[in-house]
Amino acid sequence: MLWYKAWLETRSRFLASLATLTLFSAIFVHHAQGLLRPEWKSDFNRLLFIHQQFLVIMWVLAVVLLGMGGLIPEKSVGTSSFTLALPVSRARLLGVRVGMGVLEAIVLAVVPWLAVFLVVSLARNRISITQVVSYILLLVGGGTVYFAMAVLISSLVAGEYAAPAVAYGIVLLTAMLFDAWLRPFNLWRLVTGDFSINRSTYLISGHLPWLGILASLCLAVALLLACTIVVKKRDL
Amino acid sequence: MTNDNVIVTQALRKFYGTMEAVRGLHLSVGRNRITAFLGRNGAGKSTTIKMLLGMVRPSAGTGTVLGKQITDAEENRELRRRVAYVAEDKPLYGYMTVEQTIRFVRSFYCDWRADIEKRLLQDYELPLHRKVNTLSKGMRTKLSLLLAFARCPELMIVDEPSEGLDPVAIEHLLQALVARSAEGVSVFFSSHRIAEVERVADQVCILEKGRLLVDASMDELRQFYRRIDLVFSSLPPECEFQISGVERIQTSGRQMCVFASSNADAVIQRAHEWNAVSVEVAPVGLREIFLKTVEGN
Amino acid sequence: MFLKLTPTTGQPLYLQLMQQIRHAAETGALKDGDQLPGIRTLAEELLVSPNTVVKAYSELEHEGLLELRHGSGAFVCVKRRTRSLADQMQDARRRIRDLIERLRDDGLLEEEIRRAFEAELLYPAEVVRKR
Repeated sequence: MLWYKAWLETRSRFLASLATLTLFSAIFVHHAQGLLRPEWKSDFNRLLFIHQQFLVIMWVLAVVLLGMGGLIPEKSVGTSSFTLALPVSRARLLGVRVGMGVLEAIVLAVVPWLAVFLVVSLARNRISITQVVSYILLLVGGGTVYFAMAVLISSLVAGEYAAPAVAYGIVLLTAMLFDAWLRPFNLWRLVTGDFSINRSTYLISGHLPWLGILASLCLAVALLLACTIVVKKRDL
Repeated sequence: MTNDNVIVTQALRKFYGTMEAVRGLHLSVGRNRITAFLGRNGAGKSTTIKMLLGMVRPSAGTGTVLGKQITDAEENRELRRRVAYVAEDKPLYGYMTVEQTIRFVRSFYCDWRADIEKRLLQDYELPLHRKVNTLSKGMRTKLSLLLAFARCPELMIVDEPSEGLDPVAIEHLLQALVARSAEGVSVFFSSHRIAEVERVADQVCILEKGRLLVDASMDELRQFYRRIDLVFSSLPPECEFQISGVERIQTSGRQMCVFASSNADAVIQRAHEWNAVSVEVAPVGLREIFLKTVEGN
Repeated sequence: MFLKLTPTTGQPLYLQLMQQIRHAAETGALKDGDQLPGIRTLAEELLVSPNTVVKAYSELEHEGLLELRHGSGAFVCVKRRTRSLADQMQDARRRIRDLIERLRDDGLLEEEIRRAFEAELLYPAEVVRKR
């Protein structure tokens, strides 16, 4: 029943984020598409591209929040003795927490785009499924590393507000760094589709940046492994 | 009754920075007995228990619980399957209801006793659908105890079990502890309520500043610890009474009060040699043993 | 059967329990063939460790006062020897009564008499095993 516990612990954060992201996506696209003429095909695709820009920001902020929790905050509250007395390994506790978080992160990417798909289809506009899937893949594939970072931070930094503050700080820092120096490796641009977009049609075309996504996922796994080591060694 | 030990530690140490919380602890807790763990706050009881259960890593030393090494993560997980632990502040997840908490804990253990769960729910009058963070302290304690009692562990480690309970509930608790002990569960509990300990404990371990000062059976404590009040017409030097077994000597005027953990007859003999006017021997209760042992250190 | 154990006297609880059971057998509160409560039941009732009850029962079995039948429980066997012990006890009580009367006449207070008895009983502090 560890999954149940993880669900109960992240439920309100998740549902609030889900509502916010979905409502934003639906309203934004609904409103914006009303401003477009049907013949402005490429503008319509550009609308989807712009939507992704906004969605990425909100999604990253949401998954960082979802990454908070775990044994260190439990120690401050006092329930770590209860959790750690259970016959489960710390690795398993972390694994379930991460698993639940990743599932929730995927839902947070899929549902808003689903809402967009519905809103667009209801307005009798055409929207290609492959585009939607591509955007979702970019978001989750490239962005999960931020979730992993948040999980690692929550195992290193104690404090209900300190941990998310540090995590958000890192998000901001990386965004600035990527913009300033690491342009070819800019994760933000990867996630928002900047690398894959055809500037004339504003369609995600060609190949997705699989190498970049793979690198990002590998980094996420590395961060989570580091987190496992930290949690295993800590006195709680 | 088997003679082996459920908990054994060798030279267990724990440093927090420069502060030594546990210093070279050699603990052995026997199977099928009720062992009490006494000590002041900060003496190192909770730290020791946390080391036994794998929550805190010892700085040095080794230990086994139910034969499994406490420092090996995998073995420690195995032993936790057979140990029921109730922590001092009775931690529970505030966001779960009573029912959810029971279901949650039950899912981890195959030795769950549904009959005991049912009976305790009734006896303790726990409201199933209320969230834990809305319960009173006494209710939370009762729920924590239920979660430990509704199982068949080989060892129960309970920290301050009667905290927050009214006298009736304490009676029930002691009965439950005794009942489990009769069924073969080894009980290791720490408590500040000396009266409770005096009744039910078979063995008493007194911890002070991270060291074990006393490790004896209640029978031994009752049989051998004595307080000898002496009156002399002229007080002999104290060193004459520093015989083996004597723990503390207090003098006031022509009176001498000797606190001995054994060998009381030797003290009485010596008193007669020095022509004591009055010799009174009295047994020592556990409270006094605890206070004198801890103060003297 | 009403038993009372005092945790604060200088005597191990199992010895107190043994004495009280013996006393009950002497005075006839427990007759030959009576069954004593099971270990768990008695431990719960008195709120003492089951090991205390186990020790008391097995020592009494060793003395011959109890018969422990596996699975059924502990049964009292009052033998002839114990019956004459009841007489001995009555005699002892009479003698102690006389002694206390005399000590009172000498001017000792009750508290002083009690302390004198306690002091003498506790020295030497070894348990004298009954044959």
